[in-house]
Amino acid sequence: MKNLLSNPHLVLVTRIFIGLLFIFSSLDKIVDPSAFVRSVADYGLLPSWMPAIIATILPWVELLCGFGVLFGLFLRGTSLLLSAMLVVFTLAVMSALLRGLDISCGCFTQDPAAGHIGWMKVVENTSLFALTLFLYFSDTTKFTLIEYLQKSGNEQHHSPQAKTTINP
Amino acid sequence: MIRLLQALREAGVLLLVAAALGFIHTAATEKGMFARPAPALAAQSAGLPAPAMVTRDQAQVYFDSGTAAFIDARHEFDYKLGHIRGAINIPLRMYETKKAALDTIPKSRLLVVYCDGAECNSSIELSVKLTKDGYTDVKIFFGGWSEWTSSNLPIDKSP
Repeated sequence: MKNLLSNPHLVLVTRIFIGLLFIFSSLDKIVDPSAFVRSVADYGLLPSWMPAIIATILPWVELLCGFGVLFGLFLRGTSLLLSAMLVVFTLAVMSALLRGLDISCGCFTQDPAAGHIGWMKVVENTSLFALTLFLYFSDTTKFTLIEYLQKSGNEQHHSPQAKTTINP
Repeated sequence: MIRLLQALREAGVLLLVAAALGFIHTAATEKGMFARPAPALAAQSAGLPAPAMVTRDQAQVYFDSGTAAFIDARHEFDYKLGHIRGAINIPLRMYETKKAALDTIPKSRLLVVYCDGAECNSSIELSVKLTKDGYTDVKIFFGGWSEWTSSNLPIDKSP
């Protein structure tokens, strides 16, 4: 397990997959927040004033986390947020299914004609949760923007030209 | 433990930035929670006259006289928990599949559409759809379910 968590290639592939997935899923919600308000309200879990607030903030959390994970910026915070969100999403879908609601997910598209939720969604979300948790516990900064910035910072620091500009 | 604290700090900052971006974007584009809920706006974009709003007292008069068909725009789950007596459930998002329930109602009949209350727009959007589909006398009871129940007016519950 330790090996997997520090395998830079595995972490990179997971980051690209999760990052692009959440960036993609946020776009439709950002473009049409009103439709997302209805999607959230359809779950029937929240008081009527809450879906509007969630629809205002959540798509941007997804977008920022998507970019964060993709570029390896704030990887701990973004992966933790995504894990927590996926737990909530999964519970919401399960509760809707148990109540027999026939609603569309509101996950990737806000088109009401899109496929409705089923137990596959729970499996899908649980798998994504496992991947975000994997990113949270991963301990490599290879192929991240942070690593790149640190590297270029070090190079500059050691180059004589940089030294002369800093201390003329 | 240090990892968790660091993650929580980062997550907190991200949430704040996301909230700021979200509020600025929706306010600037007048979408979502900043969308103007006026029925006139929705009707205007559909090129139709705006459906009128009715108060609870007027809704009660229509109910007592039996002249109106009440349409519940809320989700089926909420409808089953309780609805205005005799109301027909047409959840906004399932309009196309559920509108067959109105087949027996003449297009000229008065329809009073409602949802949860002042904080939901489903009744407005549903009334626009109904008007588009040829119903000529559609009214919105904007106080909706919350006003109706707080006045202890007749309700039904589905099994």
